[in-house]
Amino acid sequence: MAGVATSNRQRSRIAPYLMILPALAYLAVFYAVPFVSLFRTSLSTMGGSIYLPTLTFAWDFGNYGQALSEYRDQILRSFGYAFAATVLCLLLAFPLAYVIAFKAGRYKNLLLGLVILPFFVTFLIRTIAWKTILADNGWVVSVLDTLHLLPPEGRLLSTSWAVIGGLTYNWIIFMILPLYVSLEKIDARLLEASKDLYATNRRMFGKVILPLAVPGVLAGSLLVFIPSVGDFINADYLGSTKTTMIGNVIQKQFLVIKDYPVAAALSFVLMALILAGVLLYTKALGTEDLV
Amino acid sequence: MASGLDPRDPRFRAQLASRRRFIGGGAAAAAAMILGPSFLAACSSGEKSSSGTSAAPSAPEDDGSPASGKLRVSNWPLYMADGFVAAFQTATGLTVDYKEDFNDNEEWFAKNKEPLSRKQDIGADLVVPSEFMASRLISLGWLNPISEARWTNKKNLRSDLADAKADPSRKFTAPYMSGMVGIAYNRAVVGRDLTKIDDMWDPAFKGKVSLLSDMRDGLGMFLMSQGQSPEDPSTEGVQKAVDVIREQKDKGQIRRFTGNDYADDLAAGNIVVAQAYSGDVVQLQKDNPDLMFVIPESGSSTFVDTMVIPYTTQNQKAAEEWINYIYDRANYAKLVDATRFVPVLTDMTDELTKISPELASNPLINPSTETLAKLKSWAPLSDEQAQEFSKIYADVTGG
Repeated sequence: MAGVATSNRQRSRIAPYLMILPALAYLAVFYAVPFVSLFRTSLSTMGGSIYLPTLTFAWDFGNYGQALSEYRDQILRSFGYAFAATVLCLLLAFPLAYVIAFKAGRYKNLLLGLVILPFFVTFLIRTIAWKTILADNGWVVSVLDTLHLLPPEGRLLSTSWAVIGGLTYNWIIFMILPLYVSLEKIDARLLEASKDLYATNRRMFGKVILPLAVPGVLAGSLLVFIPSVGDFINADYLGSTKTTMIGNVIQKQFLVIKDYPVAAALSFVLMALILAGVLLYTKALGTEDLV
Repeated sequence: MASGLDPRDPRFRAQLASRRRFIGGGAAAAAAMILGPSFLAACSSGEKSSSGTSAAPSAPEDDGSPASGKLRVSNWPLYMADGFVAAFQTATGLTVDYKEDFNDNEEWFAKNKEPLSRKQDIGADLVVPSEFMASRLISLGWLNPISEARWTNKKNLRSDLADAKADPSRKFTAPYMSGMVGIAYNRAVVGRDLTKIDDMWDPAFKGKVSLLSDMRDGLGMFLMSQGQSPEDPSTEGVQKAVDVIREQKDKGQIRRFTGNDYADDLAAGNIVVAQAYSGDVVQLQKDNPDLMFVIPESGSSTFVDTMVIPYTTQNQKAAEEWINYIYDRANYAKLVDATRFVPVLTDMTDELTKISPELASNPLINPSTETLAKLKSWAPLSDEQAQEFSKIYADVTGG
C-alpha cells in the first residue's frame, strides 16, 4: 500500500494550488489582463478614424507628459480633496468607534447596525440626496446664512466643501469599521494595568490605546483615501465647474474625447501616485498589520 | 477496481504534475491569457480599418409586393405614444417588436460598430440616432437608402429639413423629431424677460447659470452669438465661443455643465438660468408655470433625431412602411402629443388642434416660422473636427 500513501502525499501537496486556482484565474482574467492592456494603451499612438480607432503600441511616453502637464491642477485637487476627506473621516470616526468599542455595552450591535444601515441605499442615491439637503433654498443654507457661516460663494452645493463633505460621508464607513475592529481587539487588562500604574486617562489614551489602534488608522485611511482620489460621482453631483477631479477627467477622456492613450496614461499616473503615497504612509506609521 | 482511476496506474501518475511544472504551466496559461486578447484586438482592429469605408450600399431589390412579417424597431425611451404600435400593426398587418434600447448615440455606436462593420445583424431593422450619428453611419456606408416609392408621405417633411448637409435630399434618413436648444429661466425669480446671451451674464445670476456639457448642444448658440454658425463651423469660431464661456466660468457665473439633469436644479432653484432643451421645459412647465424658454436673439441650435435603416436590416419594406405611417400628419400628431418635441412635418396645427388646442398654441411644440428661422443645425463634422471641437469644449467644461 506504499504507493497509495505516496500519491496521497503528492495530492495534498497539489491541493493548495488547486484551491487557489479559481482565485488566480479570476485575477489573471479580470486584473492582470486589463492591467497589461491598459498599460499598452497608455504607450500607444492612435491612428485610423476616431470612430474606429486603431491603437499602435509604440512606447509613446508623450502620453504621460501630456497627461501630467494638462491635468496637473485636477490631480493636485483630487489629492487635496481626498486628504481632507480622510482627515475628516478619521476625526469623526475615531470617537464613534471608540464609543462603540468601549462604552456601548449591549447597544454595540445596534450602533454598528446603524452605522451600516445607510449603505443599504445605493451610492448614487445617497449622493443625490445631499443635493436636496444642501440646496440653495434649503434650511441648512438659510441657517448657516443667519449665522454668517456660509462660504464666500454664498452657497454650499456646488462648492469644494460639498465635494469634500460628500467624499467624507460616502467613505466614512470604511474608516469606522477597521477602527472599531482594532479598538475592540485591545485587551482590557492592558488598560487596567495602565490604571494600576497611575496613568491618567489622557496618558492611557496616548500610550496604550492610540498605538494599538494604529493598524486600524492605517487600514481606514487607505480604504478612504484610495477610492476618494479616483472618485468622480461626488464632484459631478455636488461640485461645480471649479471642483473637477481627476476621475472626471479620466471619464471624459475615455467616453467623450475618446483619447484612450491619454486616459490610460492618466490612470497609470494616478495609480503610481497613490502607490507612492501609500508606501510612504505605511512606512511612516511603521506597521505592517492591517487591522 | 476496474475503473481507470487507479492511482497506481503509471499513466495516471504521470499526469500528476510536480509543483514546479504546475507553477510553470500556470504562468504560461496566464501569459497566453494576457497576450491572447491583445492579439485578437490587433487582428480585429486591422479588419475594421479595411472595412471602414466601403462603398454606399444599395437597398435590396424591391419587387413592389406589400411588406409582411416582423419589424424590429429600436428607439429612445419615452419616445413613443401609447397605442401607436398597436394601431400600426392593425393598419398594416405587420408585427412590430418595439424596443426602447437606444439610450445614447455614442454608447449605441460603441456597442454596434463591430457587428455592423462585419455586416452582421444588430437585432434591429430601424433605429433612431441623432442626425450627426446618422451622418457618420452614412459615411461608413452602413445605411440602406429609403425607397421613395414606399415613403410617399415624404412630401410632408418641413422644407428646412428636406435638404440637410448631413444627407442631401434625405436619401438615407427620415427625421423623427426635432428639438430646440434655448435658454430656460424662472420668470418669478428673474423678474424680467431674458432675450439674449448677455442676459445670462447678469451678475445677479452669479453661480446660478448652467450650460449643457454636450459639445454640439452647448456650443451652438455661442457660436451664433459670435457671428459664426454651426452649419459651417471652424476651429477659430469654436475657440471664440469657448472663450466667451471660459470668461464667465472663471468669474464664477457658471455653476455647472450638465446633461439633462439641469432640470432638477432648475426645479429646486439651485439654477435660475439654464441652457435647456425645449422638450424638457414643456414637461417642467406643468409643475412650474413660471418657467420660460427663449431662443436668444442671435439664434441657437436645433437637433434632429432621424429614422434610419441599417444595411443589415431583415425587413427593408416593413421599415419603409413604418416611416411612411409616421409621416402621416394624423398619426404623427399623436407622437408629438406624447413626446412634446418639435414636429418635423409641416402644417401640423390642424392635427394638433384636434388632439388639444393648447398643444397647437404652445410655441415650444409648434414654433413660429420666425423662431424656426433663428435655428441652425450642426453640419456633419469630419472625424478630426469632431475630436478637436470636443477637446476644446471639454477643456472648459472639465477644468
